[in-house]
Amino acid sequence: MDMSPYRDLFVSEARSHLSAFSELIVRLEDSPDDPAAIDELFRHAHSMKGMAATMGFEQVVGIAHLMESQLSRVRSGEFRMQPAFADLLLESGDTLGRLVSVIEAGSGAAEDTTGLLERLASFDPSAEEEPVASATPPAEEADTPRETPAATPHEFRLADTFKSIRIKTETLDRLVNITGDLITNRYRLDEAIRLANAAAECHEPLHQLTALLRTLRDEVFKARMLPFSFVAERFPRLVRDLARRQEKEIRFHLEGKEIELDRGILEEITEPIVHILRNAVDHGLETADERIRAGKPAASTLSLTVNRDKDHVEIIIADDGRGMDPERLKQKAVDKGLITREQADRMTPQEAYQLICTPGFSTAETVTDISGRGVGMDAVRTAVTALAGVLTIHSQIGQGSRFVMRLPITVSIIHALMVRCGAFEIAFPLNVVVRTLELKPSEIFGEPGQRSISPEDHSAPLRSLRQSLNLPESVGGGDALQPVIVCDIGGAVVAFSVDHILGQQEIFVRPLRSPLSHLRGVGGATITGDGRVLFVADVSALA
Amino acid sequence: MSRTVMIVDDSLFMRKIMRGILVEKGYIVVAEAASGIEAMRNLHTSHPDIIMLDIILPDSNGLDLLESVITACPDSKVIVCSSLGEDSVVRKALNLGACAYLQKPFTPEKISEVLESLGG
Repeated sequence: MDMSPYRDLFVSEARSHLSAFSELIVRLEDSPDDPAAIDELFRHAHSMKGMAATMGFEQVVGIAHLMESQLSRVRSGEFRMQPAFADLLLESGDTLGRLVSVIEAGSGAAEDTTGLLERLASFDPSAEEEPVASATPPAEEADTPRETPAATPHEFRLADTFKSIRIKTETLDRLVNITGDLITNRYRLDEAIRLANAAAECHEPLHQLTALLRTLRDEVFKARMLPFSFVAERFPRLVRDLARRQEKEIRFHLEGKEIELDRGILEEITEPIVHILRNAVDHGLETADERIRAGKPAASTLSLTVNRDKDHVEIIIADDGRGMDPERLKQKAVDKGLITREQADRMTPQEAYQLICTPGFSTAETVTDISGRGVGMDAVRTAVTALAGVLTIHSQIGQGSRFVMRLPITVSIIHALMVRCGAFEIAFPLNVVVRTLELKPSEIFGEPGQRSISPEDHSAPLRSLRQSLNLPESVGGGDALQPVIVCDIGGAVVAFSVDHILGQQEIFVRPLRSPLSHLRGVGGATITGDGRVLFVADVSALA
Repeated sequence: MSRTVMIVDDSLFMRKIMRGILVEKGYIVVAEAASGIEAMRNLHTSHPDIIMLDIILPDSNGLDLLESVITACPDSKVIVCSSLGEDSVVRKALNLGACAYLQKPFTPEKISEVLESLGG
């Protein structure tokens, strides 16, 4: 069997054993009789041995085996952890580290480990303890090195490989910003060349620049990727603890934790996920009694699944709990004055579920300390939208609920559809745009103010972007075609009429700071090829 | 025919190698677990025919876990894996109901041998 595919995994796992190993030895020097730490040391040596044996790395096996057998003597109480033994273990760990580096490099001088093996095999715990026990050790004897010259004391040294380094996350953030600005400037350069009618010689370098920038962008983003497990490891424990407190029996499944996301997105999405999980445990899932009465298995299921779909990831949180009743949600929203009765009647179930994301809306009868306090689903939706993502909610009464967060895998640089409306040019993030249409007047239905692009119902309302932006309506042009962009906002379809659709472009979105960040309907800004500042639409706020 | 397998080992490296070998031999790895807790949880959802159980895990005593696994899933066949090679542990594991014992380091041949001994 070809073992080479497993070599990297061996190297990384061996390294983590070795670093845990030296940490434990240091800890044991402070409290030499900590049996748990000794057990753990033993386990690391044992795992190293097993892994190396499987790969056929005999030198590593030899050292790890002797470490393991000496440690088992400590474990059985034959002798205590002592400085000379700690030194020997640290030295062994260092040697193993070097051997692992040679394995990683795939070549390199084989190290002679026979001296270490001998000293490991023949370690005599009494050799040191005696002088300490003796009341008056002869002065010159105490200074004499106890070990043969081959034993170099453990020293702090740099990582034994320069293949990977640690860098600060801010550095990566700066690299993303610079890359974004470079891309913006590429568009500016493109525009300038076009306007200046510059010589054809400019096109080839510009083409090259474009390709290089794309590679740079991909590499920078790759460097920022982390597996979902980076944040997900704590979720099973979180759910377990919450379930305990609620006295609910919950089986939690986590899938797709190996899928990688941009660090910034992971950071922003963790709290929303925790919130939805808390909500599910607290409100979504029933107690065992309730479930049995409803004819469901006593234990409920809660799952967190991550899927990769081209340039997007989907984070899905699903439970098999009581589900949500759209009618009850609508009633609540009407009672709270958030919507009118008429609006409620027109709402599809999809839209009704989105009501829970309205600020000030909470269907929970009681506010517990687990969830339902302050930060609600509105904060979740805001976070998802800020990441250029979409939150969709599905539910079935009695069957459970499902929250889907669809997010781009990278931040900041997005594809956008540029539209013109009056004097404004606005970028619509492509992730919300379903399609574009050019409609004849006869294809637009309903009364002014309640227009729709669908003849049957109100499931696809047509809004005027001019109106949303407080611009005067353009004078109707008779039979002129009306450009329309159709957006999907968390399952609800909304169409916007615009003056012109200009085309698609890759843009680098910059967050807005106060006071501009308070502008309704605006999610950020970008700089265009000709150097103008342009707003990026926050579609859910415009709808 | 016993074909679905769950691998319980705290080492990702070991799980991947084991998975590689098993998949090559035509088995379906339905679950992996890095700890006793994870093993018990996955057991309920995946109902594997065969469980490859490492006897040394960070969060549990392997023999206790073996007992829980057998109680929870009496139909699954458990193969105990470890490099301990100590007769007493092997005996205890077999007495508790493990079907076979696989000593690490394993080779593809050794795994085949043990799996065949289960009577496929």
